[in-house]
Amino acid sequence: MNAKSEVINEKSETFISRLKQDWRQYVIYAGFVVIFIFFSITLGEKGFLDPNNLLNIVRQTAMIAIMAVGMTFVLSAGEIDLSVGAVAGMTSVTTALAISKFGLIGGICGGLLTGIVVGMVNGLLATRVGIPSFLVTLAMMGIARGSAMWVSNTAAIPILDKNYYFTFGSGNIGPVPVLLIWALIAAVIGHIVLRKTSFGRKMLATGGSETAARFTGIKTHNIKMQVLIISSITAAFAGMLYAGRLRSGRFQLGEGDELSVIAAAVLGGTSLFGGFGSVVGSIMGALMIGLINNGLILMGLEFSQQLIARGVIILLAVTVARSRK
Amino acid sequence: MSQPEGPKDNAVVMTGIAKSFGGVAALEHVDFSVRKGEIHALLGGNGAGKSTVLKMLSGVHKPDKGEIWINGVKLEEHTPEAARRLGIAMIFQEMSLIPSLSVAQNIFLTREPKGAMGLLDDGAALKEARVLLEKIGVDLDPRRRVDSLSSGQRQLTEIAKALSQQASVLIMDEPTSTLSSAEIDHMFGFLDRLKKSHASIIYVSHRMEEIRRISDRVTVIRNGRNVMTKAVAETTLEAIVEEIVGRRVGAFERQARTTKPGAEVLRCVNLTAKPRPIEASLTVRAGEIVGIAGLMGSGRTSLAKSMFGLQPIASGEIRLKDKVVKISTPPEAIEAGIAMIPEDRLTQGLVLQHSVADNMTLPVIDRNSKFGFVDEAKEKALVAQYIKQLRVKTASPQKAVRTLSGGNAQKVVLAKWLATDPLLLILDEPTAGVDIGSKTEIVEIVREFADRGRGVLVISSEPAELLALSDRILLMAGGRVAREISSVEIEAWAANSTDTAHRISLMETGLQVAIQEANS
Repeated sequence: MNAKSEVINEKSETFISRLKQDWRQYVIYAGFVVIFIFFSITLGEKGFLDPNNLLNIVRQTAMIAIMAVGMTFVLSAGEIDLSVGAVAGMTSVTTALAISKFGLIGGICGGLLTGIVVGMVNGLLATRVGIPSFLVTLAMMGIARGSAMWVSNTAAIPILDKNYYFTFGSGNIGPVPVLLIWALIAAVIGHIVLRKTSFGRKMLATGGSETAARFTGIKTHNIKMQVLIISSITAAFAGMLYAGRLRSGRFQLGEGDELSVIAAAVLGGTSLFGGFGSVVGSIMGALMIGLINNGLILMGLEFSQQLIARGVIILLAVTVARSRK
Repeated sequence: MSQPEGPKDNAVVMTGIAKSFGGVAALEHVDFSVRKGEIHALLGGNGAGKSTVLKMLSGVHKPDKGEIWINGVKLEEHTPEAARRLGIAMIFQEMSLIPSLSVAQNIFLTREPKGAMGLLDDGAALKEARVLLEKIGVDLDPRRRVDSLSSGQRQLTEIAKALSQQASVLIMDEPTSTLSSAEIDHMFGFLDRLKKSHASIIYVSHRMEEIRRISDRVTVIRNGRNVMTKAVAETTLEAIVEEIVGRRVGAFERQARTTKPGAEVLRCVNLTAKPRPIEASLTVRAGEIVGIAGLMGSGRTSLAKSMFGLQPIASGEIRLKDKVVKISTPPEAIEAGIAMIPEDRLTQGLVLQHSVADNMTLPVIDRNSKFGFVDEAKEKALVAQYIKQLRVKTASPQKAVRTLSGGNAQKVVLAKWLATDPLLLILDEPTAGVDIGSKTEIVEIVREFADRGRGVLVISSEPAELLALSDRILLMAGGRVAREISSVEIEAWAANSTDTAHRISLMETGLQVAIQEANS
């Protein structure tokens, strides 16, 4: 009996003390609700709450959300990946080309392979050569975007395979867009890997203190290599979805996404300096960015005004999450 | 106002200095004076109050009682700037230099000579630096970047910087610990010349050899009081060590171990490592606790790091339970059955912002996982067991380790490595920065571990701790095991006394003297 009450005590105590300590981590959820309600009231007549509009938000943010899962891993391990947007663009091109040459299966393999190869190059340069991942992926951003332009002759490469574009981007199962399903799958797998596997724990330890992790027998180089590969794979997958949604591969796809993805992860409580990460938070962060974009468009703001408003909202959210630390 | 006591040729006079921190007296009553043109050694054990005295003098702390006079002027405003204006300079080991700037740029940092229109005049700085370096007899090109200099040259740069700010009293804390013996000779020649130009030097070191070689007088601080000031020529090594050790009150007792050592657990044969040259052979038997004593830089930590795969082994072999093991990474060491409590708990031992539970389970995370999934029930049980067994005081296992006291944080490090169930446990400075209560507990935990038939290697700078724990002690100097001190020999040091406190003091004195002898 004694032991039992102790367990209960411990549980309730950790729950309350955690809430007290970590409420800032949950700010994203409150912020999401507040913004949602705000738009529902102000934009209700303009069709904000229309199911089609809401599903559109999902469609527009699915790729950012999927890349944010990979980014959560990378940031948790104390690294960064700036090449995700460019890799998505490049993969849309390689996938479209591979489909036209080798068909559906060849296309899927080609897309994923693009991600694996880029991730391995990033990882090797960052761990074996020892260049900071910021610089490696900054350079890779240019290389990937440039290669995509070159290979495609800057033209859109059409995808004619119906099965492909249904499965990867354009299709709906009943009322549910396949993009939502893919994003959910990525979120669930990402969350489990980060929270329930030894790999996830090692990732957080490496980001929390690389020295301590190394002194504890963790192969920190391998962990960093693996998270950079995973990040590139999620980017490649997002690129495949872009290609499916637009039924073509275009080098411009995913342009500037790296910033939205990093913003989504940081909004969701993942630390830019490593050691803390939340996949669920990152997904919420991505949805919040999508929500803001959608609301601002419905409000009839000009693109310039949208950019400013989005920047201010992100700064506000991050400030609230950081203040009084 | 004139200087209270002593002749006018005193550079520093501190009288009746007292200071407490949070109700605990760090200094009770210290009188300390340094003459002009003298090298004065300041000695004392860990926590004796040495560094508090130096911090008062350099204006970091304000004394509760007492007066400080520097070059005949009373220090009224207790700030580092005020102390510096009166001529005090603390020589840090390369810490206040900016590696990417040149020697000249560092010497004149924030006081750069300016040319026309207020722009920096690097040429003038270079010229002035040359003149200065030549004047003090340092052969160093002021254009060189600091990161290309050896440790010795960096220290000389520090000193040049201090002298360019009109410093007349230099405080040097363990200046030789990172220097080669040639560099030490060079440094001592330099200090000697400096002294002749009427600069005063307060010299802190644990190397008695050096102190006898370089200093004119020596002052010993113990328990917040100055207990001895004498000309070095008029005293002996033993007399100085006895004063440092004093009569220990409340220290650990040396207890006879009941476990008889069993079969050999570890045998290192001619182990050599890079980059720090060590060459060591040693054995540890089951149930045995072997201490490693030595000064900073004697190769103690290098030895531990090579055995744990954190530093490449150049040659020699490591045998665990009579089997040769190849160790080049920590995972291999852990796999072979070695665990190491590192010397720096805050950066090497723990992920500070992570929880007690996450830290404790980190080394065994793969053992507690199936198909990559962590068995949380198993982890929870393990954490609960160790929190209870080692009496870790934490509000909950989910609390971040950084919120714990030093002693409790160190218990978390111990727990994390005991959980790997190692054959051999290496502890590097296991009770540094730990309160006395936790120290005793940690000693107990280590003893219990050895009693279960495991081997233990303890590295420590604190003689009392080594004496409390070790069955025998290896003395390291210059990267080699200089000699071994058996239990019998330790007991023999204290053979003349039956009083516990006195016996501890005698043993500590014996060990300190042995360490100093090994280094001379």
